[in-house]
Amino acid sequence: MTDETHRFTGMYDECRQRVWAYVVSRAGRQVADEVVSETFAIAWRRLDDVPDPALPWLLGVARNVLRDSIRAEARREALAQELRAWTEGDVADQVAERIGVLQALAALPDDDREILVLVAWQGLSPKDAARVVGCSTAAFRVRLHRARKRLKQAMEPAGPSRPQVRNLSEEWS
Amino acid sequence: MNPMDELRAARPAHLGDVPVDEGTRAKELTYAMSRPRPARRRARKLVRPVWGISLAGAAAAVAAATVVVTGTGGTTPRAPDPVAQPGQTATATPTAAKVRLSAREVLLAAAEKAGSQPDEMGAWWHTTSVHRTLFEAAKGGYLVLDQQRSETWTPSATGGDQWGRTRSLGARPATAADEAAWQRAGSPTEIDVKVWRKLGGMRLSTSPGKPSEGHTPLVDGDKVFWLGRNVTMKELRALPSDPGELKAWLLRSYKGHDTETSSIPMGSDAWLFRVSTGLITDMPVTPEVRAAAFRMLADLDSVEVIENVTDAEGRQGTAVAVEEKLKDGVLENRLIFDQETGRTRATESVVVEPGGAQAAFEPGTVWNSVAVLEAGWTDSRS
Repeated sequence: MTDETHRFTGMYDECRQRVWAYVVSRAGRQVADEVVSETFAIAWRRLDDVPDPALPWLLGVARNVLRDSIRAEARREALAQELRAWTEGDVADQVAERIGVLQALAALPDDDREILVLVAWQGLSPKDAARVVGCSTAAFRVRLHRARKRLKQAMEPAGPSRPQVRNLSEEWS
Repeated sequence: MNPMDELRAARPAHLGDVPVDEGTRAKELTYAMSRPRPARRRARKLVRPVWGISLAGAAAAVAAATVVVTGTGGTTPRAPDPVAQPGQTATATPTAAKVRLSAREVLLAAAEKAGSQPDEMGAWWHTTSVHRTLFEAAKGGYLVLDQQRSETWTPSATGGDQWGRTRSLGARPATAADEAAWQRAGSPTEIDVKVWRKLGGMRLSTSPGKPSEGHTPLVDGDKVFWLGRNVTMKELRALPSDPGELKAWLLRSYKGHDTETSSIPMGSDAWLFRVSTGLITDMPVTPEVRAAAFRMLADLDSVEVIENVTDAEGRQGTAVAVEEKLKDGVLENRLIFDQETGRTRATESVVVEPGGAQAAFEPGTVWNSVAVLEAGWTDSRS
């Protein structure tokens, strides 16, 4: 049991902030702590099922918690606020040239953004990321390819009719 | 630059690898670990709820709940173990000796006393205990004792919540020698300690913390404790008070393996010792049943008795002990009780052969303990 407590806290220390960052990128900061807390409560309950490395599994659980327990409306509002924060640079050490990339990312459909964040910010392999979003690795590669293309397009200066961040809320159901 | 690289470089700082703040960490860990796990996997959770206990406390609580008999028993007398004196966490006096041959008598005497304790049910079964766990400082070569006070209220009625309140009493260097080393290290008030198998380590504060409170619904609405399986208050109160019948009742849940995992085989004596220690220490069974549990232990061959033991609160008592062989190292798990009343004073885990999580500790060191300050019925939860 001691072993398990150690294993659990070790897993928490290793992964907590990355789970949090993932949730923030999906649903904003307001709901992130709640989702993270629930995610690790589930991980504790199901510790015997948690693989090593645990991160992809935890992200998958967080994804389900987000879907099942956070009202779409709350998530939508919180995310819109988070994305505005990225693009308006209210984060203290935001560098100007990065804002363009973040604006492009914020403007992408939700699914694209999730895929890109899992790979670029969470550092997951396509195989692990596919597990998080629940598709085959092959399908994930295709989706990643398309998302990258759309990101590149959105990054082009004066790209055609870049959607506004607020319009993203329509992506949520 | 390729868009993915640009994206990588553009990650907002707050989504980067910044450490989680200590308060959030403590809150989330305790929230997670306060949840009972499914009976099949983690039913013991019910025995010692750990709401709000900081990580160290939780570790202590669960570790202390682990008591395994692996000795083969027998009657060969054994020389007294060398007993270290880790600061105020004295274990036994240097003269303490294992008195194998009187184990049965001592337990039967305890049974007599336990059986005559008053018992009037109230709205809540309330326990207060102090959990102590020894850690090795990450730097400076000294040992630190983490101390957590923990209270639990278990409702006698079904359908309610079990409540817990915990408070860190602050960590401190374990012994005078440890204190000197701690001072040489600059007397840090925040001490980084090693946690076995690396996994990040942990930071302990020497200052007492704020109390934190939590509650969780009873499992299935009515299960209050774990006794081989999850049991209701009604079942707990109706346990047989005949030692043989109690043993048979308990063994119905015995499946030949460890209480924590089905992959480790465990003998029935070892299993019974673990389960009945919980019964004697934590649970609101009737005095007659507590007496029956002592009598049942008296019939287990592998149980030893150690007299004149001092618990972490400085109280004298008599210990029933069993050895637990781990993958690395050997522990001795003790149930210390007051011979005058048959009431539990503490459970302790003593290093016999260092190894694994206890590799840093000398033989004879109490590496964790739970001292019971109070266990009884009450009508108010405050």
